[in-house]
Amino acid sequence: MTRLYPSMAFTNIKKSRRTYIPYMVSCILTISIYYIICSLADNENIALLWGGNIIQSYMGFGQIIVSIFAFIFLFYINSFLLKRRRSEFGLYNILGMEKRHITKVIIFETFYTYITVMILGILCGILLDKLMYLILAKMFGGGIPIGFYISTSAISKSFGLFGIIFLLILFNSIRQIYKAKPVELLKSESTGEREPKVKWILAALGVACLGSGYYIAVTTENPVAAFAMYFVAVILVIAGTYLLFTAGSVALLKLLKKNKGYYYKTKHFISVSSMMYRMKRNAVGLANICILSTMVLVMVSATLSIYLGLDDSLDKRYPAEFSISSMADDPLNNDVSELLDKSLSKEGLKKKNEISYKDLSVSAVYEEKEDRFITDPDSYTSLSAFQTYDKLATLVFVTLDDYNRCMRTDETINSESDVLVYSNRAQLETDTINIFNTKLNVIKTLDDFMVSGNMAANISNGYFVVVKDDTVLNDIYKKNVKAYGEYSSFINYYYLTDIAGDPEENKTAIENAFNDIKTQLNDSQQSGDSPYAGFTGAIECRSVEGESFGKDLTGLFFIGIFLGLLFIMATVLIMYYKQLTEGYEDKKRFEILQNVGMSHREVKKSINSQILTVFFLPLITAGIHVAFNFPFIFRVLTLLNLFNMKLFALCTIGCFLVFTIFYIIVYKMTSRLYYRIVKK
Amino acid sequence: MTVLLEVKNLQKVYTTRFGENNVTALSNVSLSVEKGEYIAIMGESGSGKTTLLNILAALDKPTRGKVLLNGKDITAISEKEISAFRRNNLGFVFQDFNLLDTFNLKDNIFLPLVLSGKKYNEMNKRLKPLASKLGITDLLYKYPYEVSGGQKQRAAVARALITSPQLILADEPTGALDSRSADDLLRLFTEINREGQTILMVTHSIKAASHARRVLFISDGTVFHQIYRGNSTTEEMFQKISDTLTTMATGGDIND
Repeated sequence: MTRLYPSMAFTNIKKSRRTYIPYMVSCILTISIYYIICSLADNENIALLWGGNIIQSYMGFGQIIVSIFAFIFLFYINSFLLKRRRSEFGLYNILGMEKRHITKVIIFETFYTYITVMILGILCGILLDKLMYLILAKMFGGGIPIGFYISTSAISKSFGLFGIIFLLILFNSIRQIYKAKPVELLKSESTGEREPKVKWILAALGVACLGSGYYIAVTTENPVAAFAMYFVAVILVIAGTYLLFTAGSVALLKLLKKNKGYYYKTKHFISVSSMMYRMKRNAVGLANICILSTMVLVMVSATLSIYLGLDDSLDKRYPAEFSISSMADDPLNNDVSELLDKSLSKEGLKKKNEISYKDLSVSAVYEEKEDRFITDPDSYTSLSAFQTYDKLATLVFVTLDDYNRCMRTDETINSESDVLVYSNRAQLETDTINIFNTKLNVIKTLDDFMVSGNMAANISNGYFVVVKDDTVLNDIYKKNVKAYGEYSSFINYYYLTDIAGDPEENKTAIENAFNDIKTQLNDSQQSGDSPYAGFTGAIECRSVEGESFGKDLTGLFFIGIFLGLLFIMATVLIMYYKQLTEGYEDKKRFEILQNVGMSHREVKKSINSQILTVFFLPLITAGIHVAFNFPFIFRVLTLLNLFNMKLFALCTIGCFLVFTIFYIIVYKMTSRLYYRIVKK
Repeated sequence: MTVLLEVKNLQKVYTTRFGENNVTALSNVSLSVEKGEYIAIMGESGSGKTTLLNILAALDKPTRGKVLLNGKDITAISEKEISAFRRNNLGFVFQDFNLLDTFNLKDNIFLPLVLSGKKYNEMNKRLKPLASKLGITDLLYKYPYEVSGGQKQRAAVARALITSPQLILADEPTGALDSRSADDLLRLFTEINREGQTILMVTHSIKAASHARRVLFISDGTVFHQIYRGNSTTEEMFQKISDTLTTMATGGDIND
C-alpha cells in the first residue's frame, strides 16, 4: 500500500507527458540559466578579466531578475497544469481516495519533478556555463582555462531557490485540492462560461494609461532626469497593456457585436463571439507575451546597438589620440606639449589634425520661466537628484578665434554681447542667455562644435557659447569667480592631436610614447623638483585608455542577450500552453459547427483566423510599444555617447524582424499540435 | 404523394486501418420517405441506425448504394458543395443539442442563416413566428448554460426549422431530456409534422417512436420490419412497437 502513491505519481507524470514535459523543460532551462548567472557571478577567472567586476555586478542584478521571473513563470505554468488535472483529482476522490491521499500523490509527483529537473538543470547549466564563459572570455580577450568550472555555491543557491518555488507550488496545489468539492473537481472543465461583461471604465483607463505612458516616453527630453518618469511610463504602459487586453478587447468586440449589419455576416459572426471568449480566457497570457516580447526587443536592440556603436562612442569620448587638458594660465603648458612632441618623435610617430583652444566651463541651474541661468550656489541644494540632471546645465565659453580656427569656419561676431550657441542635448528655448546678470544675445545656432571628451562624459545638458574675444571670456571668468567664490571654474586649455597612420599598427608605439610621458609627468609631480612640477593638467590617450572603455557596456549586451533568451523561452512556453488549451476547448466547437452545416474547410479557416489574431496581437502590440519606446531609449543611448540613430533604428528593426520570424516558426509548430487535438 | 427521400441498397463496410477486419454496419438498406412523413427508425445499439443517419445527413459516404433527395444523389455531391447542400436542405436535431455556448439562443438559431449569408431583417422575420410557436420568445437572449435541457432542445429545433429544410433528421432527440420535456418535444414534432414538415427520427425510445406515423426496425444492418400507424392512437402504437421489439429480442420471426 505504501508503494502505491509513489508509483501512482510516476504513472501520472508519464501519462500527462504532453503537458508535463514542456513544464519540466521550462524548469530545467530556468534552473540552468539561474545556475549560469550565479556561477558567472562567482567565477574568479571573470573577476580577473578587464571589466570583469562590472560584469559580475550585472550578473548579481540578473540573479534577482531571474529569480523573480522563475517564481512567476513556474507558478503560472503549474496553475495551468493543475486546471487540466482537476477532473482527474475529482475522479480519484469519487473512486474513494481521500483528499489526504491525493495530497500524498501530489507530494511524490512534485518531489520527483523537483529532483529530475534539478539534476538535469544543473547538468545543463554546467555545460552551458562553460560556453558562456568562452563567449565572455572572447569578448573581453581573457585566457581560457581548460576544464569545467563547477560552482558549488551556485548549485546550492539553485537548489535553495527552486526548492522554495517548488514548495510554494506544492502548497498551492494542495490548497486547490482541499478547497474544491469532488463534484466540482469532476465538472470543472465543462461548466458553461458566462459571456464576459464589458468594463468600460477599465477599458477607458487602459487607453488613458497607454496614451500617457506613450506621451511620457516620447516627450521626455533629458533621459537622466526622465529615469524616474520613464519608470512611471513603463508601469503605465504595462498597466495599459493588461487593461486593454482584458477589458479593451472585450469592449471592442461588444461594440462590433452591437452593430447588427457587421455582426450577422458569415465572415464575422463566429469570429466575433468566439474571440470574446478567447480574449476572456487568454487576455492575461497574451498581455504577458506582449510585455515579454517588448522587453526582449528593447533589451536586445538597445544592447546590440551599444555593442555595435562602441567605436562610435569611443570616438566621442576620446576625440583625439592624445589630448592634454590643463589650466589656461599654467606656465607648463608649452613644456608639456614639447614633452609630447619629443616622446612621439622618439617612437617615430607623426602628429595629425592638431588643435588647441581655451574654454571656460561653468555650471548653472537653468530656469526656464525666467529664461536665465541661476548661478547662486544655494540653488543647487534645493534641487532633487533628478531635477538636478534636468535643470543643471554646463555652459562652455570659447572665443570666436578659437572656434573659427578649430572648426575651419569664418563666423563673425560684431558686438560683445552677441554669441553663437551649440547645444548637445536639450535645445535652448530662447534667443538670449542670462548669466551672471549679463544678457547675451544668441545671433546664431551652430550645427557643430569642437570635439570635447569631457562634455561627452558629462551627462547634463551642454551649451557651447562662442563669444567675441578674450576680453569677453575674461569678463565672464571674473564674474564667475565673484559668483561662485571657491567653487568657481577656471579657463582651461586643450590640446588635441591625432597620429598619422593606422592606430592599430602603431599601437605599441603609441602605448610606449604615452607611458613615457606619464612616467615623466608623474615622477616629476611626486619629486617636486623636475621641470614639470606643479603641472595642473592631465593627458589622455585613446588607444591606451579606450582599451577598457565600453567593457561594461559589452557586459550589458551579454546580459541583454541572456535575459532575452530567457524571455523568449517564456514566450514559447506560454504560446505552447495556450495552443494546447485552445485546442481542447475548440474541439467540441469544431464538431458542432460542422454538424450545423459549416464545411471542414470553413471551420478551419475561421478558427485559424481567430488563432492568428490571438497570437499576433501581442506581437503587433509589442511592435508598437517598441516604436514608442524608441525615442526614449535613443536618448538613453546618447548618454552612452551613441548618437547614431540610423544604427539604432536598424538594430531595432532587425531585432523585430528576427523575432517575428522566430515567433512565426513557434506559432506554426504549436498550431500543428492544436490541429492534432482538434481533429481527433 | 411524392417521394422525398429514396435510399437504395445502401451498404457500409468499415475497414480497420490495416484492412484485416471488415465490419459491416449496413448490409443492404432500402427505404423511401414520402413528403410530409414522420418516420422513426429503431434498433439496438450497433444495429447500424447511427451509420444510416450519418449517411442520410451526408456526414459519411456509403460503400455502395444511393441516397436520393428529391431525385438528387447526395452521395455524389462534391466535398465543396456538401455543406451548403446540408445547410439548405436538411435540418438537424441532436441528442446533446449541439448549441454553441458562446452564442445566445437567438444567435444559435441564426447560425445556419448567417452561414448562408442572409440579411438580419429577413432572419428576424423568420425567427419571430418560429420562436413563439416553440415557446422560446422570452429565452432568445439567454445563453445555453442559462436554460434547461428541454429549452435547449427547443432552440435546437428552431435552428433546424429556420432554414425551412426539406427534411428534419433527428438523432435521439429525447435522449438527454427528462420525461416531461421529452413529451413536450414529441408533441412539438407531431405538430410541425402536421404542418407538412417531413421528419426522420432515429431513436431507441419506444415512447418517442410511438409518435411517428411509421416505424422502421433495423437489425444487423438491414431493415428488418416496419409498422404503419394507420389510425391507431399513440398508446396502441406504443403497444405494437413493444410487441415487435419483444419478438425481435426473443429471436422470433416477426412475419409469422
